[in-house]
Amino acid sequence: MTRRADDFHAELARGVADIHRNPVEVALFDHDASTISGRAGVVVYPTSADEVIHVVRTCHRHDRPFVARGAGTGLAGGATPLDGAVVICLTKMNRVLSVDPINRFAWVEPGVLNLDLSRQMTALGHDLHFAPDPSSQQSCTVGGNVANNSGGPHCLADGVTSAHVLGLEVVLSDGQVVVLGGEEPEPDGFDLRGAFVGSEGMFGIATKVCVRLTQNPPTVRTMLLDFTSVRDGADTVSAIIASGMVPAALEMMDALCIKAVEEYVHAGLPLDAAAVLLVEVTGLVSDVTAQAERVAEIGRRLHARTVRVARDEAERALLWKGRKSAFGAVARIKPNYYLHDTVVPRRHLPDVLDEIYRIVDRHELLVLNVFHAGDGNLHPLLVFDKREPGILERVHAAGEEIVKASVAAGGVLSGEHGIGLEKRDYMSLMFSEIDLAAQAAVRCAFDPSGLANPFKVLPSPASCGDIQHVPEGAWI
Amino acid sequence: MSIDEDLNTCVGCGLCLPHCPTFRISGEEALSPRGRIAIMRSVESGSIAVDDDVAHFLNTCIQCRGCEPACPSGVPYGRLIEHTKQRLATDPRVANSTVPRWLRLGLGVLPRHRLVLVGSRVLAVARRMHLVPRRLDPGPIPVRNGPALRATSTTPDVWIFTGCVMDAWQRRTHRSTARIVSSLGASFGVSGGACCGALHTHAGLDSRDLAHRTMRSMPGNAPILVNSAGCGAALKDYGHLLDSDEARAFSTRVLDVHEWLAPRVHVLPRPTRRDQVVVQDPCHLRHVQRAHGAVRECLAPFVDLIEIADDGLCCGAGGAYALLQPTMAREARSHKVAAIEAVAGRGTVVASANPGCLQHLMAAGLDVRHPVDIIAATLDSST
Repeated sequence: MTRRADDFHAELARGVADIHRNPVEVALFDHDASTISGRAGVVVYPTSADEVIHVVRTCHRHDRPFVARGAGTGLAGGATPLDGAVVICLTKMNRVLSVDPINRFAWVEPGVLNLDLSRQMTALGHDLHFAPDPSSQQSCTVGGNVANNSGGPHCLADGVTSAHVLGLEVVLSDGQVVVLGGEEPEPDGFDLRGAFVGSEGMFGIATKVCVRLTQNPPTVRTMLLDFTSVRDGADTVSAIIASGMVPAALEMMDALCIKAVEEYVHAGLPLDAAAVLLVEVTGLVSDVTAQAERVAEIGRRLHARTVRVARDEAERALLWKGRKSAFGAVARIKPNYYLHDTVVPRRHLPDVLDEIYRIVDRHELLVLNVFHAGDGNLHPLLVFDKREPGILERVHAAGEEIVKASVAAGGVLSGEHGIGLEKRDYMSLMFSEIDLAAQAAVRCAFDPSGLANPFKVLPSPASCGDIQHVPEGAWI
Repeated sequence: MSIDEDLNTCVGCGLCLPHCPTFRISGEEALSPRGRIAIMRSVESGSIAVDDDVAHFLNTCIQCRGCEPACPSGVPYGRLIEHTKQRLATDPRVANSTVPRWLRLGLGVLPRHRLVLVGSRVLAVARRMHLVPRRLDPGPIPVRNGPALRATSTTPDVWIFTGCVMDAWQRRTHRSTARIVSSLGASFGVSGGACCGALHTHAGLDSRDLAHRTMRSMPGNAPILVNSAGCGAALKDYGHLLDSDEARAFSTRVLDVHEWLAPRVHVLPRPTRRDQVVVQDPCHLRHVQRAHGAVRECLAPFVDLIEIADDGLCCGAGGAYALLQPTMAREARSHKVAAIEAVAGRGTVVASANPGCLQHLMAAGLDVRHPVDIIAATLDSST
């Protein structure tokens, strides 16, 4: 250990109690839930904003990069530390600080688990929940949701995380504390809160989040439609939306995914189907009944074999458990997976899906498709065994072709998982150099030091000195 | 599947994290199933040296196996941690911190039933005289136990497995079990002082001899009823532990007592008064045997059930865990007590079908009873 490193650690220890340096433990933080690995330096578990401020200030003084991390369920390498960055793990800051049920908001610490937040509302007797519901919602943290502007099945009707974050207390990379947004629904000035949500830890660290709470729907109906062709399923998705309805959720799984999930949940999913659609409608009883009938009618017209309606909460929970455990269940087929989460215009879903199957066939790989069909947010999971020689190259090549096919169809790189490291180098497929420079300028405005989660999102990070002004013709 | 294959089934999604009591308490990756699996992988491949820190990460696991039902990939976590504990228990660098000498001694006593009975009595007296430090308080233990359970037939309809410590500390539950079995018209045999070896397996010690002895104590084909969730899970795993056809056949005979009672219990007389009871699921009943539904079926005719909203998070008892990791065990328990108090008033009876959980929660001042004792008590009030 060099003298400088010793100084750094000694100074860290003066303001944060929980520091972990055991190499075995530190190595656990080399990656998130993706396959991309980096190298963590030291891990700290702050328990207060003051401790976060101290760690960030110390990093700033010693010119050390830092990475904020929640539960490590991210899939794009967003929380993967590079070059021995300090990992600031926020799982111990997990308190709900205050709840205002009348105005429907709560201040929470970033380490609160997404599902715990909604459950705590129920336990407190409030008929409210936090709407963003990523599939990892039982494990992922609100802070991580903010960083990635996370989505989830119910974001089709409710909107993604940004629509559910009113305000943030943020520690900037020099240790300054600022409050962005606030309890008021429309604070004055620039919407810097909006800029921060989805900034993937590169603008600073949120130490308090003011979340919007959503009324629980009075009635919920969950349906499962099954199809003998993927195209029929995809057409049904477009037809449902085109009919003027926005269901609470509209999800699709293909045959291989159905197989993996059914082995885990035993929900009676049709193993001979090419695709199933999971559709949820919410509202008042009469409205829900009418919507459900309409969904069933459209499905049947487009050759749905069966329309199953969940009889009770237990059956509904089981169907959702299946959908939400899909990523983990893939290990029943192969031990590793790699996925993208591109978004394509809904009407192109059937064609892009066909193209994905073709690409995967060409590379002799297996793919599971499970995705937020309602908003065209694909999740093609390429499953493989990394011990097989040469397979990673094939997987990455297929992944790149899928991304290109999605963008060519008018889509975007990521719906909800973030860009992180995984899609960083694809950014230039979407944005010109001028556009990227504009994004770098915004980053520099928040973090001139470039120490907050460096080397993510932007393909070739310019130092802040290079950026004098936003170039002409830029769009963000 | 080999251990390597099993370790590779973890894709690192993290869905297990909130279901792990030690992650819930600490918020630390190294004390979560995903973290521990990664550490076990490194231990197995030899890429890291086992030291006290590594032993700590693994030894703090309560082995509740709450992560197993939460795992979409079906990682057999219990087998992995048992395998790794064996390595630690025999590794000279950490054997002592994994299984301290006093624990080896204590576990060595368990198969000697008379010693267990005498020792328990000494402990019960010491406890009454306030000689047991609070930190190590095992909860109430009877000074007088009453006579041992006696078989009603040499060719019984069912066997009642009475175990080691449970027979010394909670013999009343064996009597209740016998009473219910008899009132349902079945004859029973008794295992005697055989120890199932569950605690030995958890500690990483070889329990195969104990398994053989237990199997010999209950010959024939009659079902074996177990009223200790921990022992039941161990007996059901003999097929895997001994890897023989005989052991596999034995394991298929093993039932948690509630699995046997559930389809029969409706013929028992109903009580005149229904009390409220909180159901606490022992981990090895819910996550391992997955027989917690049967407890509810058994209790429902007699009492009004209250559910705890914590997804069956472990109470921290974990066999000898409360002695080895007292701080963590007490924190897990305070989470459980808070979850119970969130749904039921103070003093509400808590039903728990495992002697370890029962003692651990009683030591926190809760009124905890075995479901079988609750049912037997209603028989008294209705006749």
